[in-house]
Amino acid sequence: MANPSAARRFNPWRGAIFAMLLALAILFLLPTLGVLLASVKTTREIALGSLWSFPTAFYLGNFVEVLSNPAVHRYLLNTLLVTVPGTLASTALGVLAGYVFAKLPFRGSNMLFLVLVAGMFFPPQVILVPLFRLFNGMGLIDTLWPVFIVHTALGIPICTLLMRNFFATVPTALREAAILEGASEWQVLTRVVLPLSLPALAVLATLQFTWIWNDFLWPLIFTQSDDKRTIMIGIVNLKGQYSVAWGVQGALSLIASLPTLFVFLFFQRYFIKGMTMGAVKG
Amino acid sequence: MERHNTVWRIALLAPPLSVFAVFVFWPLFSSFFYSVTNWNGFGSDYDFVGLDNFAKIFTDKLFMNAAINTTIWMAAAIVVPTLFGLGLALLLDGKVPGGRAFKTVFYLPICLSAVIVGQIWIWIYQPDWGLLNAVLSNINGEKMRYAWLAKPDTALGSVILAWSWQQTGLSMVIYLAGLTAIPEDLLEVCEIEGAKLWQRIVFVVLPLLTPSTVVVIALSVINSLKGFDILYIMTGGGPFNSSDTLAMHMYNESFRKYLMGYGSAISVVLFLIALTIIGIYFRQLKKVDRIYG
Repeated sequence: MANPSAARRFNPWRGAIFAMLLALAILFLLPTLGVLLASVKTTREIALGSLWSFPTAFYLGNFVEVLSNPAVHRYLLNTLLVTVPGTLASTALGVLAGYVFAKLPFRGSNMLFLVLVAGMFFPPQVILVPLFRLFNGMGLIDTLWPVFIVHTALGIPICTLLMRNFFATVPTALREAAILEGASEWQVLTRVVLPLSLPALAVLATLQFTWIWNDFLWPLIFTQSDDKRTIMIGIVNLKGQYSVAWGVQGALSLIASLPTLFVFLFFQRYFIKGMTMGAVKG
Repeated sequence: MERHNTVWRIALLAPPLSVFAVFVFWPLFSSFFYSVTNWNGFGSDYDFVGLDNFAKIFTDKLFMNAAINTTIWMAAAIVVPTLFGLGLALLLDGKVPGGRAFKTVFYLPICLSAVIVGQIWIWIYQPDWGLLNAVLSNINGEKMRYAWLAKPDTALGSVILAWSWQQTGLSMVIYLAGLTAIPEDLLEVCEIEGAKLWQRIVFVVLPLLTPSTVVVIALSVINSLKGFDILYIMTGGGPFNSSDTLAMHMYNESFRKYLMGYGSAISVVLFLIALTIIGIYFRQLKKVDRIYG
């Protein structure tokens, strides 16, 4: 190694640091590990022993029970029905706004951008009551529409912010050259700029997917009947049904987390980069 | 050319701005409107009650209780994950063996939903076989049967711990990004000049991390103001309102008691708090940009 101090900027005692990190990592993993362990044990085994011990046999019955429950299918399907369109719509709208703010600035556009981005910061409770009334008036309460619409609208600030910051890094000369060649603004955006933006789009899609999938508040407010509920509400509903079956609850939690965990591991590289994109000047 | 641009600006901005205006901006302003009515959530009947709802806030013991809890919740939600995240980032900076795996482990809880995190920690705090009591029993030597979430003096703190577990990874990632921007040579010079490790961290690294700290704290504040789900799942604001926050109180008044006018007044107060914080944040950001930009 050319520069030995690079390996120990703040950690001259490598062994000790490693041991400390390992201990912390185990401590950090313990809560999740408990769910994993419970999900492969029978209720009897949990009742007799401890939830936190290793299972005597690898029991998959909890997963079978969860996956064969038609209510769970309904919840998962509903969640997909809001998550996928919500992710696509908010990302697309963020691309449009981000492009204008980055490449077609106008007088007052910075101010408008700030107002839009500020929308990211206020608590969603503030718009709860008016939205409830609005959707009630439209006859959309107890459908998945309000959940999809609200996620799309509330995703616009973050999507605009990240896309503007990314588009700002795309050389303006590229746009000008394409325009001189006779391309329309739309062609510049879709043929030149977007293909360069795949990493940023991956980040955004991951973020939006995770937030919408994991959301609890909006489906809680806007849906009422069981067959309109999403998986996060479903877990809370099913808890009563399985109040003593900890293993089933564990399996249910695991299944509900798999899509976002999968998406995270898949896009991890972009994800961590994107979380800090524009947030910290490097 | 300029006219061409204007047409495109309008065409491209119209869809996002109109969706945002109808479903975020307009509701925001109607909140102010409903806060001076006694609307019950159904039908179109309501009366204007002036500032009665806001007057009620000052006499509402539950509101004051929720305001205090929100302050505690926010203070803890800023300090704990920020410090843990910074500590982890410092430990992980440089070439620690297995660094990538460690980062993934600490970041993972962020991907879990509040419902799942709540569920996991309910198990940990469970009085009979929960992990926390089991560990304490081992240390203590006697059987611990403490119901952490069902006792007024520990409920809020217990949820804060769960929240910190989930949020630490986020501040760690932001601090790690900030650390990579600190030049190696600078630290080397300090070391050669005889600065001790803690001196380098306190006098060189922490000041240089200011932009990251601004981002981390802003995110913590914002996320904690929104922190409703995990409280709803773990305690529902109880026992005896000991973990009730403004967001929780607003939900209860609006959607359990159907006092949507009063709920709107609470949300207006929440909005004003958020607005103040956003204002401070943007000012700090400008200052930081001027110094470090």
